[in-house]
Amino acid sequence: MASEGRFNQQRYEREPARRVFAAEMREATYHFKNGEDEKSPAYVLLPTGERCNRVFIIGSMTQKEKRGEQNIFYNFRVADPTGIFFVTASSYQQEAMQQVSRIEPPAFVAVVGKPNVYEAPDGRIFVSVRAESVTVVEKEMREAWILDAAESTLKRVEHFDQSADAALTQEHYPGTNLDIYRRMAYEALRQIQI
Amino acid sequence: MDLSEVAERISQKFTSQSVEVDAASIEKKLRTLVDEFGVNLTEAEKTVSENIAKEHGLESVPRQTSEQREIGTLLPGEWATIEGKVVGLSTPVSPMIKQTGVIADATGAIQFTAWARANAPLLEMGESYRIESVVVDEYRGVPKLNFHAGTTITQSEENITFLPQVTNVADLRPGVACLRVKMVQEWEARHERIFQTGLVGDETGTVKFTTWKGDDAPRLEVGMVYNIFYASVGEYQGRPDITLNGATCVPDEDAEMEVGTGGMTYQGAIINIGPGSGVIKRCPVEGCNRVLSRMNYCPVHEMQNDFRYDLRIKGVLDDGEKAHNILMQREVVETVTGVTLEEAVETAENSPMGMDDVFYRLKETIMGRYFTCTGNDLGDTILVKECSPVTFDKDRHAELLNLLGGEANGE
Repeated sequence: MASEGRFNQQRYEREPARRVFAAEMREATYHFKNGEDEKSPAYVLLPTGERCNRVFIIGSMTQKEKRGEQNIFYNFRVADPTGIFFVTASSYQQEAMQQVSRIEPPAFVAVVGKPNVYEAPDGRIFVSVRAESVTVVEKEMREAWILDAAESTLKRVEHFDQSADAALTQEHYPGTNLDIYRRMAYEALRQIQI
Repeated sequence: MDLSEVAERISQKFTSQSVEVDAASIEKKLRTLVDEFGVNLTEAEKTVSENIAKEHGLESVPRQTSEQREIGTLLPGEWATIEGKVVGLSTPVSPMIKQTGVIADATGAIQFTAWARANAPLLEMGESYRIESVVVDEYRGVPKLNFHAGTTITQSEENITFLPQVTNVADLRPGVACLRVKMVQEWEARHERIFQTGLVGDETGTVKFTTWKGDDAPRLEVGMVYNIFYASVGEYQGRPDITLNGATCVPDEDAEMEVGTGGMTYQGAIINIGPGSGVIKRCPVEGCNRVLSRMNYCPVHEMQNDFRYDLRIKGVLDDGEKAHNILMQREVVETVTGVTLEEAVETAENSPMGMDDVFYRLKETIMGRYFTCTGNDLGDTILVKECSPVTFDKDRHAELLNLLGGEANGE
């Protein structure tokens, strides 16, 4: 069938935004590119075994800092029940930057962004999130997110060995203690007041 | 039936259990039993199968062909024995095939193909048969029974009776199904071989149907409810469609039925609101409806200053595992955001930021929040019919605490 090729062609698929707690994101040290191309997607590998090109976070924006003279950018922190995400918004993400400029901490924010792993000259490794969008949301959404993140974490822990990136995870995070991540998710859930 | 066929069958049974046994060596063992020791073939097959199973540490002979199975449980790659009633016969498409049709029991129905060289007896409509040692095959995702030279077919003395299981449109899977549906739309046939094509549906959704010319299939009337027995269900571009040739369609004169919009439900967070969302202007030329550029320019009808305003959202709903493109039209946008088209137009016309003002307002209202959306997947976009905010789920919270806490505290 002449038209068949058209349907077999792989469509561009948007990368899903993973739900990760700050404490797990902080432990991520391995990042890689899927392909040689400049445009190939870059991923951070989560210690519980999933590649992650984009994240969705809801937490409390605690500190906001405006930096730079010519090229203004913002650094801010978003706290979830397990720790802190370091988030940046620069003029490369015009929209996120404008959104951040209008938000006064403390505030509940939903952040969509791309995680990045940096190595400092002294060898320490940092993970930050480059925001694509930052919106103020209601407290209830933060709690819905905690459920979502806990559920995703549990799924990753349970499918640790069957994950498509299982081998990669074993290689880069040898001896991962999955109990730590279960406990982290559990403690996060316990902080929700009902 | 000769020895090599039986040997092949035994070999295949074990292949399905990931045990590779050479058919030639099986045949040799069979020959020894049959020729030298005068064992009958059925007994020889049993003996050889059991010995191989023992050799490979299998508890039992896999998928005994004598084991009778329910039609609804058959899986591609299996060998089985079934007992069922012929509920449909259709014209074979090739001289290689002697007969095709559908055989059913109380648990389901399956298409069958009797190859000409299998030399099987012709089955009769409405009669029941016991079919031993039949292969379940798969053709374009549809499971099928193949009668081969080793298949034994005997007419059952007692005609089995059962009620056909009706499947909801939303639950259709490739194969054979019985439906109770209303004829919704008739479409123009785009192919000279098509007798009738269109849309039928029930409360759970709609499905495309096709009847090909050739058989004396009935023409469905729009608005009428039908009981359709044993239609074949195929799949095209990931969506089911049904073929009515060979099926029985019985109109239910007095029945009324609400046809559902169907579609799937997706839950996730809205993580992107794309360009082209908010207040838009549409081309007023009849039948066009294209979105105009900011300069009121239609790609086909050029400048149109007598445009029509509309409201829509193009976004991404993401559940953490998959990002779905979504399209919400005016009614849905109004319900979800609380912004009406009138208000949006007023804002767009009076605000110094114009249409952008509406765009940002919609964005601030729904970005980063969880929603449940119901709609139809148009291939790369979900056309959202209904959308409601997700509230905190206490039961899910308790359930997750249990799931995670059980082990965390068990140290």
